[in-house]
Amino acid sequence: MFDDKKDDIFLSRWINGELSPEELHEFQSHPEYEYYMKIMAGADALNLKAYDVDTALNTIKSRRNTSSQKSTKPVIKLWPYLAAAASIVIIFGLFLFNSNDSFTTSFGEQLAVTLPDGSEMILNAKSEASFDKKNWDTNRTVSLDGEAYFKVKKGSTFTVTTTNGDVSVLGTEFNVQSQASFFEAVCYEGKVSVSSGQENTILTAGKGYRKIARIASENWTFEALEPSWITNTSSFRSVPLGYVFKELEDQYNITIDTKSIDTDIIYTGTFPNNDIDVALKTVFSTLGLQYQLLQDGKTVVVEN
Amino acid sequence: MSDSKNSTCDEQAFDQFFKSHAKLLRSYLYYKFGDLDQAEDIVQDSFIKLWNNCTKVPLDKAKSYVYTIATNLGISIARHQQVKFKHQNYITQRKSDVTNESPEFVMLEKEYMEKLKNAIADLPDRQREVFLLSRIDKKTYREIAELSNVSVKAIEKLMHKALVTLRKKIGNI
Repeated sequence: MFDDKKDDIFLSRWINGELSPEELHEFQSHPEYEYYMKIMAGADALNLKAYDVDTALNTIKSRRNTSSQKSTKPVIKLWPYLAAAASIVIIFGLFLFNSNDSFTTSFGEQLAVTLPDGSEMILNAKSEASFDKKNWDTNRTVSLDGEAYFKVKKGSTFTVTTTNGDVSVLGTEFNVQSQASFFEAVCYEGKVSVSSGQENTILTAGKGYRKIARIASENWTFEALEPSWITNTSSFRSVPLGYVFKELEDQYNITIDTKSIDTDIIYTGTFPNNDIDVALKTVFSTLGLQYQLLQDGKTVVVEN
Repeated sequence: MSDSKNSTCDEQAFDQFFKSHAKLLRSYLYYKFGDLDQAEDIVQDSFIKLWNNCTKVPLDKAKSYVYTIATNLGISIARHQQVKFKHQNYITQRKSDVTNESPEFVMLEKEYMEKLKNAIADLPDRQREVFLLSRIDKKTYREIAELSNVSVKAIEKLMHKALVTLRKKIGNI
Protein backbone atom coordinates (compact mmCIF):
# COMPACT_ATOMS: atom_id res chain seq x y z
CA MET A 1 0.00 0.00 0.00
CA PHE A 2 2.90 2.35 0.66
CA ASP A 3 4.54 1.92 -2.71
CA ASP A 4 1.53 3.34 -4.52
CA LYS A 5 2.13 6.46 -6.51
CA LYS A 6 -0.42 8.65 -4.77
CA ASP A 7 1.73 9.61 -1.83
CA ASP A 8 5.32 8.78 -2.60
CA ILE A 9 6.67 10.65 0.41
CA PHE A 10 4.23 9.30 2.98
CA LEU A 11 6.86 7.37 4.95
CA SER A 12 9.26 10.30 4.81
CA ARG A 13 6.65 12.52 6.34
CA TRP A 14 5.93 9.86 8.95
CA ILE A 15 9.60 9.70 9.96
CA ASN A 16 9.72 13.46 10.24
CA GLY A 17 6.51 13.51 12.25
CA GLU A 18 4.71 15.51 9.60
CA LEU A 19 1.64 13.29 9.34
CA SER A 20 -1.67 14.77 10.41
CA PRO A 21 -3.21 13.12 13.52
CA GLU A 22 -5.78 11.35 11.32
CA GLU A 23 -3.12 10.03 8.97
CA LEU A 24 -0.99 8.85 11.85
CA HIS A 25 -3.94 7.16 13.52
CA GLU A 26 -4.89 5.40 10.37
CA PHE A 27 -1.29 4.25 9.80
CA GLN A 28 -0.93 3.01 13.38
CA SER A 29 -3.92 0.75 12.97
CA HIS A 30 -2.52 -0.64 9.71
CA PRO A 31 -0.89 -4.13 9.97
CA GLU A 32 2.25 -2.85 8.22
CA TYR A 33 2.84 -0.26 10.91
CA GLU A 34 4.69 -2.51 13.34
CA TYR A 35 7.08 -3.72 10.61
CA TYR A 36 7.99 -0.16 9.69
CA MET A 37 8.36 0.71 13.36
CA LYS A 38 10.81 -2.15 13.73
CA ILE A 39 12.85 -1.06 10.69
CA MET A 40 13.04 2.45 12.05
CA ALA A 41 14.00 1.25 15.53
CA GLY A 42 16.70 -0.98 14.06
CA ALA A 43 17.99 1.75 11.73
CA ASP A 44 18.15 4.29 14.51
CA ALA A 45 20.21 1.84 16.58
CA LEU A 46 22.84 1.70 13.84
CA ASN A 47 26.10 3.47 14.36
CA LEU A 48 29.00 4.19 12.07
CA LYS A 49 32.52 3.33 13.18
CA ALA A 50 33.89 6.34 15.00
CA TYR A 51 35.98 8.85 13.14
CA ASP A 52 39.00 10.39 14.83
CA VAL A 53 38.91 13.84 13.30
CA ASP A 54 42.10 15.07 15.02
CA THR A 55 44.17 12.12 13.86
CA ALA A 56 42.84 12.56 10.36
CA LEU A 57 43.70 16.25 10.43
CA ASN A 58 47.25 15.50 11.63
CA THR A 59 47.70 12.97 8.85
CA ILE A 60 46.66 15.59 6.35
CA LYS A 61 49.02 18.17 7.82
CA SER A 62 51.94 15.78 7.64
CA ARG A 63 51.06 14.84 4.11
CA ARG A 64 50.32 18.25 2.69
CA ASN A 65 53.89 19.47 3.16
CA THR A 66 55.13 16.83 0.80
CA SER A 67 51.97 16.66 -1.18
CA SER A 68 53.00 19.08 -3.85
CA GLN A 69 55.45 16.44 -5.03
CA LYS A 70 53.14 13.61 -4.16
CA SER A 71 50.20 14.93 -6.07
CA THR A 72 52.23 15.58 -9.19
CA LYS A 73 54.26 12.39 -9.02
CA PRO A 74 51.59 9.95 -10.12
CA VAL A 75 50.85 12.07 -13.16
CA ILE A 76 53.63 10.80 -15.37
CA LYS A 77 53.46 12.40 -18.77
CA LEU A 78 53.10 9.59 -21.22
CA TRP A 79 54.02 11.28 -24.48
CA PRO A 80 57.79 11.65 -23.90
CA TYR A 81 57.97 7.92 -23.32
CA LEU A 82 55.78 7.24 -26.30
CA ALA A 83 57.95 9.49 -28.43
CA ALA A 84 61.08 7.75 -27.24
CA ALA A 85 59.55 4.34 -27.86
CA ALA A 86 58.37 5.41 -31.30
CA SER A 87 61.83 6.74 -32.18
CA ILE A 88 63.42 3.46 -31.21
CA VAL A 89 60.92 1.58 -33.33
CA ILE A 90 61.56 3.91 -36.28
CA ILE A 91 65.34 3.70 -35.92
CA PHE A 92 65.13 -0.07 -35.72
CA GLY A 93 62.82 -0.11 -38.70
CA LEU A 94 65.21 2.00 -40.77
CA PHE A 95 68.11 -0.19 -39.74
CA LEU A 96 66.33 -3.46 -40.37
CA PHE A 97 64.52 -2.68 -43.56
CA ASN A 98 66.91 -0.34 -45.30
CA SER A 99 70.37 -1.60 -44.44
CA ASN A 100 70.01 -4.52 -46.78
CA ASP A 101 67.89 -3.52 -49.71
CA SER A 102 66.62 -6.18 -52.01
CA PHE A 103 64.82 -5.78 -55.32
CA THR A 104 63.06 -8.44 -57.34
CA THR A 105 61.38 -8.34 -60.71
CA SER A 106 58.78 -10.79 -61.94
CA PHE A 107 57.97 -12.03 -65.43
CA GLY A 108 58.18 -9.27 -68.03
CA GLU A 109 59.00 -6.58 -65.45
CA GLN A 110 61.77 -4.01 -65.41
CA LEU A 111 62.84 -2.05 -62.39
CA ALA A 112 65.09 1.00 -62.24
CA VAL A 113 66.85 1.41 -58.91
CA THR A 114 68.94 4.40 -57.86
CA LEU A 115 71.74 3.28 -55.60
CA PRO A 116 72.78 5.37 -52.55
CA ASP A 117 75.61 7.16 -54.41
CA GLY A 118 73.42 8.02 -57.40
CA SER A 119 74.50 5.10 -59.53
CA GLU A 120 71.71 3.47 -61.49
CA MET A 121 70.74 -0.14 -61.79
CA ILE A 122 68.05 -1.36 -64.16
CA LEU A 123 66.82 -4.88 -63.48
CA ASN A 124 65.52 -7.01 -66.35
CA ALA A 125 62.69 -9.54 -65.93
CA LYS A 126 62.95 -12.35 -63.36
CA SER A 127 65.98 -10.89 -61.67
CA GLU A 128 66.97 -10.21 -58.11
CA ALA A 129 69.52 -7.79 -56.73
CA SER A 130 70.45 -6.83 -53.20
CA PHE A 131 72.99 -4.53 -51.60
CA ASP A 132 74.00 -3.23 -48.21
CA LYS A 133 72.81 0.36 -47.96
CA LYS A 134 74.46 1.04 -44.61
CA ASN A 135 77.99 0.28 -45.75
CA TRP A 136 77.52 1.53 -49.27
CA ASP A 137 80.14 4.29 -48.97
CA THR A 138 82.92 1.83 -48.23
CA ASN A 139 81.59 -1.20 -50.01
CA ARG A 140 79.83 -0.71 -53.33
CA THR A 141 78.74 -4.27 -53.90
CA VAL A 142 75.56 -5.60 -55.48
CA SER A 143 74.58 -9.25 -55.44
CA LEU A 144 72.81 -10.17 -58.64
CA ASP A 145 70.86 -13.12 -59.90
CA GLY A 146 69.47 -12.49 -63.38
CA GLU A 147 70.24 -9.54 -65.61
CA ALA A 148 70.86 -5.88 -64.88
CA TYR A 149 72.30 -2.81 -66.52
CA PHE A 150 74.48 -0.51 -64.44
CA LYS A 151 75.43 3.14 -64.81
CA VAL A 152 78.06 3.60 -62.14
CA LYS A 153 79.11 6.97 -60.74
CA LYS A 154 82.84 7.46 -60.32
CA GLY A 155 84.13 6.43 -56.91
CA SER A 156 85.48 3.40 -55.13
CA THR A 157 85.40 0.03 -56.78
CA PHE A 158 81.92 -1.04 -57.76
CA THR A 159 81.42 -4.78 -57.74
CA VAL A 160 78.61 -6.96 -58.98
CA THR A 161 78.82 -10.42 -57.49
CA THR A 162 77.04 -13.37 -59.01
CA THR A 163 77.31 -17.09 -58.54
CA ASN A 164 79.17 -17.29 -61.83
CA GLY A 165 81.72 -14.54 -61.22
CA ASP A 166 82.31 -10.95 -60.29
CA VAL A 167 82.39 -7.77 -62.35
CA SER A 168 84.08 -4.75 -60.85
CA VAL A 169 84.58 -1.22 -62.16
CA LEU A 170 85.47 2.28 -61.13
CA GLY A 171 82.73 4.17 -62.94
CA THR A 172 81.09 3.12 -66.14
CA GLU A 173 78.06 1.61 -67.79
CA PHE A 174 77.80 -2.08 -68.20
CA ASN A 175 75.39 -4.98 -68.39
CA VAL A 176 75.68 -8.19 -66.41
CA GLN A 177 73.65 -11.30 -67.06
CA SER A 178 74.05 -14.31 -64.86
CA GLN A 179 71.81 -17.34 -65.04
CA ALA A 180 72.20 -20.97 -64.12
CA SER A 181 75.29 -21.54 -66.27
CA PHE A 182 75.27 -18.44 -68.42
CA PHE A 183 77.42 -15.47 -67.58
CA GLU A 184 77.72 -12.37 -69.71
CA ALA A 185 79.18 -8.93 -69.08
CA VAL A 186 79.03 -6.15 -71.61
CA CYS A 187 80.76 -2.80 -71.18
CA TYR A 188 79.17 0.31 -72.68
CA GLU A 189 81.41 2.98 -71.22
CA GLY A 190 84.68 3.10 -69.31
CA LYS A 191 86.40 -0.05 -68.25
CA VAL A 192 85.28 -3.15 -66.38
CA SER A 193 87.12 -6.05 -64.94
CA VAL A 194 85.47 -9.47 -65.18
CA SER A 195 86.61 -12.43 -63.16
CA SER A 196 85.05 -15.83 -63.62
CA GLY A 197 86.69 -18.78 -62.00
CA GLN A 198 90.34 -18.57 -62.91
CA GLU A 199 89.79 -16.13 -65.76
CA ASN A 200 90.25 -12.41 -65.45
CA THR A 201 89.33 -10.15 -68.35
CA ILE A 202 89.42 -6.39 -68.82
CA LEU A 203 86.62 -5.01 -70.99
CA THR A 204 86.77 -1.55 -72.51
CA ALA A 205 83.82 0.33 -74.02
CA GLY A 206 82.12 -1.66 -76.77
CA LYS A 207 83.50 -5.01 -75.62
CA GLY A 208 81.63 -8.00 -74.27
CA TYR A 209 82.52 -11.15 -72.40
CA ARG A 210 80.53 -14.33 -72.17
CA LYS A 211 80.95 -17.74 -70.62
CA ILE A 212 78.46 -20.50 -71.16
CA ALA A 213 78.79 -23.85 -69.42
CA ARG A 214 80.90 -26.38 -71.32
CA ILE A 215 81.73 -23.81 -73.98
CA ALA A 216 84.90 -21.79 -73.87
CA SER A 217 84.53 -18.15 -72.91
CA GLU A 218 84.54 -15.59 -75.69
CA ASN A 219 84.96 -11.87 -76.26
CA TRP A 220 83.40 -9.70 -78.91
CA THR A 221 82.89 -6.10 -79.84
CA PHE A 222 79.73 -4.16 -80.63
CA GLU A 223 78.53 -0.62 -81.18
CA ALA A 224 75.29 -0.28 -79.11
CA LEU A 225 75.17 2.43 -76.43
CA GLU A 226 73.02 0.44 -74.02
CA PRO A 227 71.60 -3.06 -73.89
CA SER A 228 68.64 -3.61 -76.18
CA TRP A 229 66.36 -4.90 -73.38
CA ILE A 230 66.28 -1.42 -71.91
CA THR A 231 64.17 -0.51 -74.95
CA ASN A 232 62.09 -3.69 -74.66
CA THR A 233 63.99 -5.81 -77.12
CA SER A 234 65.92 -8.95 -76.28
CA SER A 235 68.85 -9.53 -78.55
CA PHE A 236 71.15 -12.52 -78.87
CA ARG A 237 74.43 -13.02 -80.57
CA SER A 238 75.47 -16.63 -81.10
CA VAL A 239 73.69 -17.93 -78.02
CA PRO A 240 72.55 -21.53 -77.55
CA LEU A 241 68.81 -21.75 -78.16
CA GLY A 242 68.12 -22.91 -74.59
CA TYR A 243 69.03 -19.46 -73.24
CA VAL A 244 66.90 -17.75 -75.84
CA PHE A 245 63.95 -19.83 -74.72
CA LYS A 246 64.79 -19.03 -71.11
CA GLU A 247 64.59 -15.33 -71.92
CA LEU A 248 61.29 -15.82 -73.74
CA GLU A 249 59.92 -17.65 -70.72
CA ASP A 250 61.11 -14.91 -68.32
CA GLN A 251 59.68 -12.08 -70.37
CA TYR A 252 56.29 -13.60 -71.08
CA ASN A 253 55.77 -16.04 -68.21
CA ILE A 254 55.28 -18.98 -70.55
CA THR A 255 56.62 -22.52 -70.71
CA ILE A 256 58.26 -23.75 -73.88
CA ASP A 257 58.17 -27.48 -74.48
CA THR A 258 61.62 -28.15 -75.93
CA LYS A 259 61.65 -31.94 -75.82
CA SER A 260 61.65 -32.39 -79.57
CA ILE A 261 64.38 -29.88 -80.43
CA ASP A 262 68.07 -29.43 -79.92
CA THR A 263 68.52 -26.51 -77.55
CA ASP A 264 72.21 -26.27 -78.36
CA ILE A 265 71.55 -24.71 -81.76
CA ILE A 266 73.27 -21.36 -81.88
CA TYR A 267 70.93 -18.45 -82.35
CA THR A 268 71.51 -14.85 -83.34
CA GLY A 269 68.61 -12.43 -83.44
CA THR A 270 66.22 -10.26 -81.45
CA PHE A 271 62.65 -10.36 -80.22
CA PRO A 272 60.40 -7.70 -78.66
CA ASN A 273 59.56 -7.95 -74.97
CA ASN A 274 56.10 -6.47 -75.28
CA ASP A 275 54.39 -8.54 -77.99
CA ILE A 276 54.30 -12.28 -77.51
CA ASP A 277 52.97 -13.11 -80.98
CA VAL A 278 55.68 -11.17 -82.75
CA ALA A 279 58.31 -12.53 -80.39
CA LEU A 280 57.38 -16.19 -80.93
CA LYS A 281 57.04 -15.72 -84.68
CA THR A 282 60.42 -14.00 -84.88
CA VAL A 283 62.27 -16.69 -82.98
CA PHE A 284 60.64 -19.79 -84.39
CA SER A 285 60.27 -18.76 -88.01
CA THR A 286 63.95 -17.86 -88.30
CA LEU A 287 64.74 -21.36 -87.01
CA GLY A 288 62.24 -22.92 -89.41
CA LEU A 289 60.23 -24.46 -86.54
CA GLN A 290 56.45 -24.88 -86.29
CA TYR A 291 54.97 -23.84 -82.92
CA GLN A 292 51.63 -23.54 -81.28
CA LEU A 293 50.61 -21.37 -78.33
CA LEU A 294 48.10 -23.43 -76.38
CA GLN A 295 44.78 -21.95 -75.31
CA ASP A 296 45.88 -21.33 -71.74
CA GLY A 297 48.30 -18.77 -73.22
CA LYS A 298 51.05 -20.22 -71.08
CA THR A 299 52.45 -23.15 -72.97
CA VAL A 300 54.20 -23.26 -76.33
CA VAL A 301 54.51 -26.61 -78.08
CA VAL A 302 57.25 -26.83 -80.69
CA GLU A 303 56.87 -29.26 -83.61
CA ASN A 304 59.91 -30.23 -85.53
CA MET B 1 43.66 36.44 -0.93
CA SER B 2 44.74 39.24 1.35
CA ASP B 3 41.91 38.60 3.80
CA SER B 4 43.42 35.66 5.61
CA LYS B 5 40.38 35.02 7.81
CA ASN B 6 38.30 34.19 4.77
CA SER B 7 41.03 32.13 3.16
CA THR B 8 41.49 28.39 3.45
CA CYS B 9 45.23 29.13 3.49
CA ASP B 10 44.81 30.31 7.09
CA GLU B 11 45.85 27.40 9.29
CA GLN B 12 43.15 27.95 11.90
CA ALA B 13 40.42 28.48 9.37
CA PHE B 14 41.45 25.32 7.58
CA ASP B 15 41.46 23.26 10.79
CA GLN B 16 38.08 24.61 11.74
CA PHE B 17 36.72 23.86 8.30
CA PHE B 18 38.10 20.34 8.37
CA LYS B 19 36.66 19.56 11.80
CA SER B 20 33.21 20.73 10.86
CA HIS B 21 33.00 18.96 7.48
CA ALA B 22 35.29 15.95 7.36
CA LYS B 23 33.04 13.60 9.28
CA LEU B 24 29.96 14.14 7.17
CA LEU B 25 32.00 13.99 3.96
CA ARG B 26 33.39 10.67 5.12
CA SER B 27 29.89 9.29 5.78
CA TYR B 28 28.61 10.69 2.52
CA LEU B 29 31.41 9.04 0.52
CA TYR B 30 31.03 5.78 2.39
CA TYR B 31 27.31 5.54 1.77
CA LYS B 32 27.81 6.53 -1.85
CA PHE B 33 30.74 4.29 -2.76
CA GLY B 34 30.47 1.56 -0.14
CA ASP B 35 33.97 1.41 1.31
CA LEU B 36 34.76 3.26 4.54
CA ASP B 37 38.57 3.00 4.35
CA GLN B 38 38.49 4.25 0.82
CA ALA B 39 36.16 7.07 1.89
CA GLU B 40 38.67 8.17 4.53
CA ASP B 41 41.46 8.17 1.94
CA ILE B 42 39.37 10.29 -0.39
CA VAL B 43 38.61 12.73 2.45
CA GLN B 44 42.36 13.14 3.02
CA ASP B 45 43.13 13.60 -0.66
CA SER B 46 40.33 16.11 -1.14
CA PHE B 47 41.36 18.29 1.79
CA ILE B 48 45.00 18.17 0.72
CA LYS B 49 43.90 19.35 -2.68
CA LEU B 50 41.96 22.15 -1.05
CA TRP B 51 45.05 23.18 0.92
CA ASN B 52 47.23 23.17 -2.19
CA ASN B 53 44.72 25.33 -4.03
CA CYS B 54 43.76 27.48 -1.04
CA THR B 55 44.64 30.72 -2.82
CA LYS B 56 42.03 29.98 -5.47
CA VAL B 57 39.25 28.70 -3.20
CA PRO B 58 37.64 31.13 -0.76
CA LEU B 59 36.20 29.66 2.42
CA ASP B 60 32.58 30.06 1.38
CA LYS B 61 33.24 27.99 -1.74
CA ALA B 62 35.40 25.43 0.03
CA LYS B 63 32.59 23.05 0.96
CA SER B 64 31.25 22.55 -2.53
CA TYR B 65 34.85 22.42 -3.80
CA VAL B 66 35.75 19.59 -1.45
CA TYR B 67 32.54 17.67 -2.15
CA THR B 68 33.05 17.97 -5.90
CA ILE B 69 36.66 16.81 -5.70
CA ALA B 70 35.75 13.94 -3.40
CA THR B 71 32.82 12.79 -5.50
CA ASN B 72 34.90 12.84 -8.65
CA LEU B 73 37.67 10.88 -6.94
CA GLY B 74 35.13 8.36 -5.72
CA ILE B 75 33.60 8.00 -9.17
CA SER B 76 36.95 7.48 -10.84
CA ILE B 77 37.84 4.80 -8.31
CA ALA B 78 34.41 3.19 -8.55
CA ARG B 79 34.78 3.08 -12.32
CA HIS B 80 37.74 0.76 -11.90
CA GLN B 81 36.36 -1.46 -9.17
CA GLN B 82 32.77 -2.36 -8.56
CA VAL B 83 32.48 -2.13 -4.79
CA LYS B 84 29.65 -3.88 -3.07
CA PHE B 85 28.52 -1.91 -0.07
CA LYS B 86 30.57 -3.14 2.89
CA HIS B 87 28.92 -2.95 6.29
CA GLN B 88 30.92 -5.51 8.28
CA ASN B 89 32.95 -3.83 11.02
CA TYR B 90 31.83 -0.43 9.78
CA ILE B 91 28.23 -0.20 10.87
CA THR B 92 27.76 -1.27 14.43
CA GLN B 93 24.84 -1.41 16.76
CA ARG B 94 24.52 1.23 19.42
CA LYS B 95 24.81 -0.27 22.89
CA SER B 96 21.33 -0.84 24.15
CA ASP B 97 20.66 0.72 27.54
CA VAL B 98 18.01 -1.88 28.25
CA THR B 99 19.51 -5.34 28.64
CA ASN B 100 16.85 -7.06 30.69
CA GLU B 101 15.51 -8.88 27.62
CA SER B 102 15.31 -12.65 27.42
CA PRO B 103 18.18 -14.43 25.57
CA GLU B 104 15.79 -15.49 22.80
CA PHE B 105 14.78 -11.90 22.24
CA VAL B 106 18.42 -10.79 22.13
CA MET B 107 19.14 -13.55 19.63
CA LEU B 108 16.20 -12.51 17.54
CA GLU B 109 17.31 -8.90 17.73
CA LYS B 110 20.79 -9.82 16.59
CA GLU B 111 19.39 -11.84 13.73
CA TYR B 112 17.07 -9.01 12.83
CA MET B 113 19.83 -6.41 12.87
CA GLU B 114 21.98 -8.59 10.60
CA LYS B 115 19.11 -8.90 8.19
CA LEU B 116 18.47 -5.17 8.31
CA LYS B 117 22.12 -4.34 7.61
CA ASN B 118 22.18 -6.70 4.64
CA ALA B 119 18.98 -5.19 3.31
CA ILE B 120 20.49 -1.71 3.61
CA ALA B 121 23.64 -2.85 1.82
CA ASP B 122 21.48 -4.15 -1.02
CA LEU B 123 19.56 -0.88 -1.42
CA PRO B 124 20.04 1.07 -4.63
CA ASP B 125 22.94 3.51 -4.11
CA ARG B 126 20.92 6.72 -3.90
CA GLN B 127 18.31 5.25 -1.54
CA ARG B 128 21.01 3.90 0.76
CA GLU B 129 22.89 7.19 0.72
CA VAL B 130 19.80 9.16 1.74
CA PHE B 131 18.55 6.59 4.25
CA LEU B 132 21.88 6.36 6.11
CA LEU B 133 22.57 10.09 6.08
CA SER B 134 19.17 10.52 7.66
CA ARG B 135 19.31 7.67 10.17
CA ILE B 136 22.99 7.43 11.16
CA ASP B 137 24.17 11.00 10.67
CA LYS B 138 20.79 12.43 11.70
CA LYS B 139 20.78 14.86 8.79
CA THR B 140 17.57 16.60 7.82
CA TYR B 141 16.15 16.15 4.34
CA ARG B 142 17.17 19.71 3.54
CA GLU B 143 20.79 19.12 4.55
CA ILE B 144 20.92 15.91 2.52
CA ALA B 145 19.41 17.67 -0.46
CA GLU B 146 22.11 20.36 -0.32
CA LEU B 147 24.89 17.77 -0.35
CA SER B 148 23.91 16.35 -3.70
CA ASN B 149 22.25 19.47 -5.13
CA VAL B 150 18.76 18.07 -5.51
CA SER B 151 15.37 19.18 -4.18
CA VAL B 152 14.07 18.27 -0.73
CA LYS B 153 11.16 16.56 -2.45
CA ALA B 154 13.55 14.26 -4.29
CA ILE B 155 15.15 13.26 -1.00
CA GLU B 156 11.74 12.60 0.57
CA LYS B 157 10.84 10.34 -2.32
CA LEU B 158 14.10 8.44 -2.02
CA MET B 159 13.58 8.04 1.71
CA HIS B 160 10.07 6.70 1.20
CA LYS B 161 11.31 4.30 -1.46
CA ALA B 162 14.17 3.14 0.72
CA LEU B 163 11.76 2.21 3.49
CA VAL B 164 9.42 0.37 1.13
CA THR B 165 12.38 -1.52 -0.35
CA LEU B 166 13.68 -2.47 3.09
CA ARG B 167 10.23 -3.62 4.16
CA LYS B 168 10.04 -5.92 1.14
CA LYS B 169 13.57 -7.28 1.67
CA ILE B 170 13.15 -8.03 5.35
CA GLY B 171 9.77 -9.71 5.21
CA ASN B 172 7.69 -10.53 8.23
CA ILE B 173 10.02 -10.97 11.14
